[in-house]
Amino acid sequence: MIAQPVVSLENVTKTYGNTAALAGANFDLMPGEIHALVGENGAGKSTLCKLIAGVVTPSEGVLMIDGQTVTFSSPKDASRLGISMVYQETSLVPQLTVAQNIFLGRERVFNSVRHVRSAARQVLQRLNFKVDPSQLAGTLSAAKRQMVEIARAVFNQARVIILDEPTAALTPEETDHLFDLMQSLQKSGVAIIFISHALEEALTYADRISVLRNGRMMTTGPAADFDRAKLIHHMIGDELKEQGKMPVARRPPRSALPVLRVENIRMGSMVNNMSFSIFPGEITGLAGLIGSGRSEVAKVIMGHTKRNFGGGRIWLDGREVRYGVPAQAVADGIAYISEDRKLDGFFDTLSIAENIGLGWLAKFGGRRLITPRARMRTLAREWVDRLSIRSIGVERPVLYLSGGNQQKVVIAKSLIQNPRLVIFDEPTRGVDVGAIAEIRQIIRGFADSGAGVILISSYLPEILDTCDRILVAKSGTIAAEFSRAEASAASILNAAIH
Amino acid sequence: MTATALSKMVGSREGGILERVVLAVTFGLVVLFAVFIDGFATTGNLRVVLSNSASLVMLSCGMAVVIISRGLDLSLIAQMVAGATIFSVMVSGGSPASVALLVAIVAMALVGFVNAFLIAYVGISAMLATLASAMFVTGVFRFAILRGEFILLLPKSNPAVMFLAGNILPGVTVPVALMIVTLIATALLLKVSTAGSVIYAMGDNYQAARLTGLPVRRATVIVYVFASITALLAGLVTSAASGAVDFRTVSSGTLLFDVILVVVLGGIPLRGGRGGIRNILIGAALIAVLRNGMTLMNFTTQTQDALRGLVLILAIVIDNYLNPRDTETDTVGDL
Repeated sequence: MIAQPVVSLENVTKTYGNTAALAGANFDLMPGEIHALVGENGAGKSTLCKLIAGVVTPSEGVLMIDGQTVTFSSPKDASRLGISMVYQETSLVPQLTVAQNIFLGRERVFNSVRHVRSAARQVLQRLNFKVDPSQLAGTLSAAKRQMVEIARAVFNQARVIILDEPTAALTPEETDHLFDLMQSLQKSGVAIIFISHALEEALTYADRISVLRNGRMMTTGPAADFDRAKLIHHMIGDELKEQGKMPVARRPPRSALPVLRVENIRMGSMVNNMSFSIFPGEITGLAGLIGSGRSEVAKVIMGHTKRNFGGGRIWLDGREVRYGVPAQAVADGIAYISEDRKLDGFFDTLSIAENIGLGWLAKFGGRRLITPRARMRTLAREWVDRLSIRSIGVERPVLYLSGGNQQKVVIAKSLIQNPRLVIFDEPTRGVDVGAIAEIRQIIRGFADSGAGVILISSYLPEILDTCDRILVAKSGTIAAEFSRAEASAASILNAAIH
Repeated sequence: MTATALSKMVGSREGGILERVVLAVTFGLVVLFAVFIDGFATTGNLRVVLSNSASLVMLSCGMAVVIISRGLDLSLIAQMVAGATIFSVMVSGGSPASVALLVAIVAMALVGFVNAFLIAYVGISAMLATLASAMFVTGVFRFAILRGEFILLLPKSNPAVMFLAGNILPGVTVPVALMIVTLIATALLLKVSTAGSVIYAMGDNYQAARLTGLPVRRATVIVYVFASITALLAGLVTSAASGAVDFRTVSSGTLLFDVILVVVLGGIPLRGGRGGIRNILIGAALIAVLRNGMTLMNFTTQTQDALRGLVLILAIVIDNYLNPRDTETDTVGDL
């Protein structure tokens, strides 16, 4: 008997705005199989899972459950058909007990505490979880929270459980336990999808592996057919390999003194002992997976994040500094261009001129009483020309610009401050293709003027094309350093994943 | 076509549909009241409306600046009565009016500074910080100065009090003159000073303003101290006109409510980043006309409160509908 796939996607496309997160993907999940999804950041793994869990709906294509075409309008519809998703950030209610969380959404009008607790204990025992059902969910460790979520899925008689990077926060023993559990669930016929950046896990525990790249399903096959090198090859593709061997650009002679040196920076659980140096006239790439602590370390340097600061030292031009607020860092000549311009990049009710002008005001406004509007407008106009920002006029709201031109405005707002060091965090994200090259040129030109540049990017071709030196962050530390000549997509990715 | 003509008249640049609606409603009410209420459309009544709304406009200037910076000041009314109390106690005790004024200004600026400190440095939400300081200030003043009473009577014959309640020019009362001064100061602060640029920037996007290196903490201090001073001025003219400082204005909440009403109805969104004195004037005009008309029609205060509540909810619903949250920012990170 040929088993019917419990979930199958046919030619599914999901677009956000005009970018496709998933393009024409085909995917089958068999009952009782453990299926690993691997791929780079933004390859479409999460989108694929969210489609199955009913969190998002496909723009095109068909989703079938048990061979029946379905259209989910909410995650509730999916869970009614036995599909449960366990997110990276757990969705437990911290103020409720473990038992109440397991029962969440299934409460009757009158709940007997004892009934809820004993039923929860049964589920937990069946899964061999050592969690006290009367404990508050908020007091549990990350691993136990995840277990409770899985228990909730089992309690809800899930037939398909989707785990989004389940092992990211777990210790090796906890990881082992999780995979034991997955295997016992599998025996009872539950199909499991798990997203992982740890290729060894996928190779060891999955029955089948699917590799996504740029929203496309590259390959699917039995885990036994793959090895680490093959997976990485599928993740980055052929064209990248060649790009990785770009002719080495003229490298300015490195000055002896770094612009910035950080040593043993620690912050919460995101940054663990990060140390590196940034040299003038050089673009230093900071590659790594999302969550490897790159933006966080930048925000610590800027003085933007202070809570959970766990120590470490920072030198700017040989002078030890420690900023309490970003204004001090800006005054000393550091600028940070954030990864999400809408969230903390530009001022969307203000004009292009005001946006750029505010950058000048922040650095050179000093104790001025009156805003020199005419001067700010002239300067803004200069920068609009220098970065060739295409707009109908500097008095227009910045919101009317295209993504690329918005990003240039944000860059102008920082470069007008004449900084010594600029940290570009994903500078070409959500930017039209034409503007990407221009923005990279702006970054190059700025570095050539003798300033230091940190380029944080999750997009390997960008790192390989633009950077003179590449640092790879992994779990909050610098895992590797490559010169431009040594670096290749494969070597960076190999250092970035576990 | 009428809408564009109207917007040109008002000089509206962006959005501003709510303020146009409010303006139209105000005109409608004026016409309605003039036709149906005896004594509404008289110069005497106009002067009463103007004088009575002076303190409301002053308070609204303070509140508008705070809200544009994406804050909120629930302690304005408490500061208003506290400032008036300091001033009256001192002039009753024989201090010169200038000294009393100076002490009151310093004391209120201190309250504003503490508010700003709690918000910008300690990181407490503006609503909670100012609510707490309102309760604290009211409590301390009623305990220490009023000995548990609600009302402090002013020395009516004191020249300073007489000055505040009188005319500065023929036909122009001191409250109206102070109102105009406050409006000008607000316009200068918002549109001319560097602090104003920072206030709009932080109201638009606080994190971006902070990361750009703008002095957001200093601006927060300026905002709340400015609000405190407007509250003090409002307190001085109100108490001089009525001959008493009445702490029940704090507990009844109606005035605070009216102030927020003025700001929101004028078209200054609670999200901050937008608005100016034009919006304050539009909002204040509606509330002043509504107040005056309802009083002339002998509505009870309860009915007036109920009607105002209705108007506020309506305005906020319209505001939410006209200025929806940017849905694109909500989906960032889905890719």
